[in-house]
Amino acid sequence: MNRILLADDDIELSDLLVEYLTGEDFVVDAAYDGKTALQLASANQYDLLILDVMMPHLNGFDVLRELRSTSSLPVLMLTARGDDVDNVVGLELGADDYLAKPCSPRVLVAHIRAILRRTDTTNTKQHQPSRSIELDDIVLDNQSRQVTVNNKLVMLTSTEYQVLEYLLEHAGSIVNKEALYEYALGRKISPYDRSLDMHVSNLRKKLGPLSNEIERIKTIRKVGYQYVRSTHE
Amino acid sequence: MNSLFWKIFITFWFALLLFTALSLTYTSHYLKKTRSEIDTSQPRIHLQNHIAEASRIAQSQGIDGVRKWLIKLDNEVAVPHLLIDENGKDLLNREVPNRIIRRINRRNARYDYFSDDNDQAENSNHDDHEHKRRTRHRPIIIDQMRYRLVPDHRSITLDRVLNRPKVITIPLIVATLISGIICFLLARYLTSPLSRLRAATSAMAKGNLDYRVAHTMGKRKDEIVELAIDFDNMATQLQKLLSSHKQLLRDASHELRSPLARLQVALGLAQKKSNGKIDKELSRIELETERLNELIGQLLSLARLETNTSEIQFEKINLATLLTEVVDDAQYEAVSKQKQVNLKNKVECQIKGNPMLLKSAIENVIRNAIRYTEENTSVDITMQTTDNNQMLIQIKDHGPGIEENMIDKIFEPFVRTSSARDRQSGGYGLGLTIAKRAISLHKGEITAKNNTQSGMSVLIQLPYMEANI
Repeated sequence: MNRILLADDDIELSDLLVEYLTGEDFVVDAAYDGKTALQLASANQYDLLILDVMMPHLNGFDVLRELRSTSSLPVLMLTARGDDVDNVVGLELGADDYLAKPCSPRVLVAHIRAILRRTDTTNTKQHQPSRSIELDDIVLDNQSRQVTVNNKLVMLTSTEYQVLEYLLEHAGSIVNKEALYEYALGRKISPYDRSLDMHVSNLRKKLGPLSNEIERIKTIRKVGYQYVRSTHE
Repeated sequence: MNSLFWKIFITFWFALLLFTALSLTYTSHYLKKTRSEIDTSQPRIHLQNHIAEASRIAQSQGIDGVRKWLIKLDNEVAVPHLLIDENGKDLLNREVPNRIIRRINRRNARYDYFSDDNDQAENSNHDDHEHKRRTRHRPIIIDQMRYRLVPDHRSITLDRVLNRPKVITIPLIVATLISGIICFLLARYLTSPLSRLRAATSAMAKGNLDYRVAHTMGKRKDEIVELAIDFDNMATQLQKLLSSHKQLLRDASHELRSPLARLQVALGLAQKKSNGKIDKELSRIELETERLNELIGQLLSLARLETNTSEIQFEKINLATLLTEVVDDAQYEAVSKQKQVNLKNKVECQIKGNPMLLKSAIENVIRNAIRYTEENTSVDITMQTTDNNQMLIQIKDHGPGIEENMIDKIFEPFVRTSSARDRQSGGYGLGLTIAKRAISLHKGEITAKNNTQSGMSVLIQLPYMEANI
């Protein structure tokens, strides 16, 4: 059973959500403000944090910023619907995915499961053979889910890791956007959703360019992305 | 003294006083100077010169020349000079006062007594004064007639002085300049704050409620400044009212979301527990909840566009790239409805704008077009530049079009056309209103028209910075 921390200042909504999510076989703790959420997150072992942006004292972004300095706990942001800025900021700060609020609880559960599926390390360890991908200066170890560039560890969120893994597996060839989206975010791409672009842009920032100053991940318009190999290969 | 009334009153009064005083001073000074010349030797030399000149002209040009010269002299000097013949008549037929005739007669008698003109050389060692006297009163001979040039000091009148252009020109110029300068300064003083005030009102009429004018008035304190202060107060008040109105809309929309979020979760719980008995009703509730949600979202977007517009940041955007992204996204939606979205051509161009807002504006228009275009048809989008540095984006659908009288109204909130199809689909809602707001924030324009064949076109015009055509 997966443990989820729900941080939302709307107590009545939290109660309803706890009831609903419990019914979906999750163990849910609720925090009604940012500080409590941070305390609970550091004191307990959660599989996912559902984080509302609008909270008193410490808002969702502040919590996420603080959390990311110490932990890579998967985070699903609940943003105000129609506020694209919130989505972008959330993803930039290292959220794994976002969901516009209000939303149907079924959609919420689908998002939760998608994130859990790809971050469930115990699962992947059992089913996937231990292997690592090495390409130029980058090493991706799927056992520990760690990535190093020039032997320096790069902190990636689970979504960014998924994106990179998929791109590296298909390095040199063009990756279809829909497929990458489904692999990385665990659900089908929807129109007007720019979150994949955000994750890729975060990845570019974190990895930096190749040694010959060439951008690692190329955008292929209308199709998707391509991880560029160093030319000498 | 600070009031405009007193400023105008005092300035005019002062200008008139100054003008009158200056004219009076100058004329009286002139008169005094001219009169005082009687007692000094200066005018005697003048008179000798005049006589010498007259004699010279008489010899060379005859009586007509002398007449012309006399008229000229009369115009130039304030003291009238009479040229009197032996019969006591003036050459210009002016009236000769009796006292002058008496004086001439007296003088003639005396000269005859002393000596003839022929004895002049012998008598040259006479009293010097007497010699001067004689040369001064030497007659001018014209056509064998003896004339005497006599200045008539007593006949100087103000009227005569003012009628001499040479005399009146200087004070006239001075008066014109002084009064001109004063009036110019006054007029500028009065109208320059008024034109600033006018700029403020026209800025406000254009919807710029941030414009304030009182601080441009400097240190002055009068009715105009009071008007400016009142204007600023009015603008502030108006701004407050309007922003509180918009804030209310924003807050209300926002607050509506909390119960809606709870409603959705409660609905989810109900769906789980109903065991299929009331699924139909529940999914209806879900649909309506989603519609409500959409509507609140649009209201919020609109409220956001109308409130903190000053916080919106503008940057250089490649419009073609932005349009391509929006079209690519819209294509996903269109395909699921057996429709197409085609970007027919691309014109590379840079514009200044907020990418998020522009995207949502164009997206709203395209989604609207997708909704109305018939199945198996496409929404066609073209870009072209216009003569006045504007980029024109045309979004053309193949739908039912729109009634002519509704064309301008579709950009207003919640407008419904009378077509049954529209009633069913819920009208235009807020999408086009949001688009219009966002486009006008970019100093652009959005209009609609019916196509000649079928459907409707929405035209978006945006000013661009540079374009590669």
